[in-house]
Amino acid sequence: MLRAEPLLRIQLLMLASEAQDAALALARFGVFNPAPCTLDALGDSPATAYREAWLEAEARLSKVREQCGDSGPLQLPDDAEAPALADLEELNAWLKSVWSACLECHENEARIADARTHLDALEDTLAKLERLNVDLAHLLRADSLLAVSIGSLPASGLGRLTEALAMTRHLVSRFDQAGEQVFAVIAGPRVRHEEVRGLLAQAGWRELPVPDALRIHPQAARAWLDAERSRLEAQSGAACQVMDGLRDRFGPRLHEARLRLALARPLAEAASAGMRGQGGLAALSGWVPKRQLASLRAALDGRFHGRYWLDVREPSPREVAEVPSLVRYPAWLRPFVPLVKSYGIPRYGEFDPALPFALTWLLLFGAMFGDVGHGAVILLLSAALLRRLGRMAWVGIAAGAVSMGFGVLYGSVFGYEDLIEPLWLSPLHDPIRVLTLAVTFGVGFIALTLLANAYNKGVAGRAGEALFDSGGLAGLAFYLGAVGVLASLAGAMDVARPAAMLAGAGLAGVAAFKWFEARAGLGERILVTLIETLETAISLFSNTLSFMRVAAFSLNHVALALAVFTLANGLDAAGHGLTIVLGNIVIIVLEGGIVAIQALRLMYYEGFSRFFSADGREFAPLRLASPQAKV
Amino acid sequence: MSAYLDTRVSLYAERLWRDEALDALVGMEDEAATDTLSRRGLPQLASGYDSLAARPDFRSLEQRIIAQILDETRVLIRPLSGDARAFLTFWTARFEMSNVKTLLRSKMTGERPAAVLARLTPMGAFGRLDNQDLAHAEDVGELLRRLEAGPYAGIVRHARRAFEQTHDPFNLDAALDHGYYEGLIQRARPLEEKVGTPFRSLMANLIDRINLVWLLRYRFNYGLPPAQVYYLLVGSRYGLASSRLQELAALDSLEAVLAALPAPWKAVLSGTSDIPGVFARMEQAAADQALRVLRSRASGIARAFAYLILRERDLRAVRAVLRGRHLGLPATDIRHALQRGAAEAM
Repeated sequence: MLRAEPLLRIQLLMLASEAQDAALALARFGVFNPAPCTLDALGDSPATAYREAWLEAEARLSKVREQCGDSGPLQLPDDAEAPALADLEELNAWLKSVWSACLECHENEARIADARTHLDALEDTLAKLERLNVDLAHLLRADSLLAVSIGSLPASGLGRLTEALAMTRHLVSRFDQAGEQVFAVIAGPRVRHEEVRGLLAQAGWRELPVPDALRIHPQAARAWLDAERSRLEAQSGAACQVMDGLRDRFGPRLHEARLRLALARPLAEAASAGMRGQGGLAALSGWVPKRQLASLRAALDGRFHGRYWLDVREPSPREVAEVPSLVRYPAWLRPFVPLVKSYGIPRYGEFDPALPFALTWLLLFGAMFGDVGHGAVILLLSAALLRRLGRMAWVGIAAGAVSMGFGVLYGSVFGYEDLIEPLWLSPLHDPIRVLTLAVTFGVGFIALTLLANAYNKGVAGRAGEALFDSGGLAGLAFYLGAVGVLASLAGAMDVARPAAMLAGAGLAGVAAFKWFEARAGLGERILVTLIETLETAISLFSNTLSFMRVAAFSLNHVALALAVFTLANGLDAAGHGLTIVLGNIVIIVLEGGIVAIQALRLMYYEGFSRFFSADGREFAPLRLASPQAKV
Repeated sequence: MSAYLDTRVSLYAERLWRDEALDALVGMEDEAATDTLSRRGLPQLASGYDSLAARPDFRSLEQRIIAQILDETRVLIRPLSGDARAFLTFWTARFEMSNVKTLLRSKMTGERPAAVLARLTPMGAFGRLDNQDLAHAEDVGELLRRLEAGPYAGIVRHARRAFEQTHDPFNLDAALDHGYYEGLIQRARPLEEKVGTPFRSLMANLIDRINLVWLLRYRFNYGLPPAQVYYLLVGSRYGLASSRLQELAALDSLEAVLAALPAPWKAVLSGTSDIPGVFARMEQAAADQALRVLRSRASGIARAFAYLILRERDLRAVRAVLRGRHLGLPATDIRHALQRGAAEAM
């Protein structure tokens, strides 16, 4: 059975000046999960400044890389050392200067694009004014009584600005729109123009400067506009050259920066977990697998030659909830692990449900969706999408294979029940047997979950709950006894008397436990004991009945196929074929999806919720690269 | 769903503080105060209050209050969908706008990202901004461009243009506030049509108060010209409609503005002679109205909104008491600072 690896708590004391190299060594070691340091004697957080510098540098580097492109794969030499804080700050300052240069190029490009838009608007304005036969020179005269301004503002503010300007006897006339920007002419008494200056700035008004050349003659205006366009083109070209120059100039050093930041990552990450220090000392705490302690010591000796002190101890019972879970799953099981982890992480020392989950989920899926044809389609589709779905495709492949297996047992191929003989039973022809089998499976499944819960509680040191609680051995005794009584009453076996005694003993154990656990007055205690004991019986009974859905869905599968055939048989040959194909697609997509979810639901709510606290911590080791990054 | 929301709001309404309860909190022993806060559904403040005694951290108290409001809003919006959900979700966005302002100021002062990140209000499930990414912007320009690519693009685009013209932080803040409340009115409009008067009355109280206080502040504290003041106000169809705001903005003194208000407003504001007084009276009137809506048979969303308005006011009062206690202020000063009236007499 899969279990989390035994871990040890370590405290590594070292010279503060070597902290970055210690963190790097631990990251190279590969299985050190940092944890908050609890050495109260060390009151400082020596790596905080390091982490801040690293975060800033990393953010700048990623922005620069977006502009300058990737500098290729990163190879970290085995003997490379992590940068010290001073080096990191210097690197950060350099990255700041690089990014500022890139940002300036960006701003220039944005300004050029903006200027182009304005130039277009100006040309448009001139064309319109030309047609209206307006004397532009006269209109824009600086000594005129009327102050006229041409410009743009965000479209959303136009209405409000028009109302506000009306208060100062100004008029707004919109003449064009580009995206969310409108172009307008504002005119009003010059004596009140100063009054609206702040308002226009607030409204995001951007004035189009109309040069004198444009006020004289249309041809001169055209010449000026052409010259302006050429100037912008030249500016744009220069901006591109600057950017290319930056790429050439900074490319090699950027690669070096990536390397140094990757080497600095471990200490920055460890600092966020809570590193402590005082004077020239620093301490790192965390968890390592017990069986790799010797190799950790060897790695530290090789790097620090005794300039460190390592304190090692077993996790105390009080901190078990804080210990991360490190479980090594076999490769074939790994595709199912995310489905378990979507419910939660097993606590350290708890029974890991990944293996029974995978087997039971597949079994339930196959039992509810047993069909050679449908299973084959799921298998082939999953195999075809292997590259796109990644590891999860294997879940589909396995589900398809199991569905095919049950199809052989049920004698069902694309819903046809007469193409092959069932090796075991046909759900449609023997529904009572299918129901009985489903409920029997449910009884076995629930008994296993109760056992798993008793084990988990025992491991966590809660022997009382393991033995006497409704989810422990007493609950299991009651459950198995009650099942025995019911089976005897149904005539399936003859164990009524011993089963009743077992159930009674179990129930008495549960009731006694509830009685001692309840911290209340006598009346409330009686009430709590009665209700909680009754609730135990009802929930176990209803959870068992939940497994009837396995039989219901296996019957439903056949019934859906029958419905498709009934529809198809009423049509001509072409319609018949089309209905069969479409009907099978609907069955695979719709029912397949529902069955997959129902199987998952049974696992989560009838299984996991009974024994799996799911509030564990995942083992997250220090690494040289972030989980998303490609080094 | 509406039954759930109604029940939830009624249960929450029991947590609102009466004057006597706040009064008692002023004079309580520390242990009893912690206990009272826990019993009144404020465990986050109770634990905060413990640490507050040992290590003064007012900002973190502020953050805990907002976290409490966000928690309760999250529960209230659970059964909501469509316009109602969008409205209450956007109601929480003002805390995120406050984060945006903090980020912008930090870029103006050159504050380090780690320092500003610690000051931001955690928005939990309501957070729509990548604070880490924004805090690492190089300057105001880059920050604004990044914000413009995010969920508040509409609000920020306008603010950026306003800022680019003058580089005046006031323009930036005013544009952000203006954009936020315009967005809130826009989201409230379909609900006002569906839900009717109770919801509209809450919005009217909120927006009219904001417009009047902004008008007085911009006009007489900052000395801005009438047209600019009017532009900065929120476009409103409530008690103080656009035409009335234009008239008020053109007046030359606070007294003249108060004298030109509609009769019901004059009654509310009689005897006030300064802007904080106007704000307090109007907030009191808004709280009274919210309490009426909360007690009425209005729709769930109107009652939920009314509750959130009252709850926030309550928590601000609790914060004032906790701060006052921590600073060792006399009980009479703390009680004076509370300035609460009829709304608390539930």
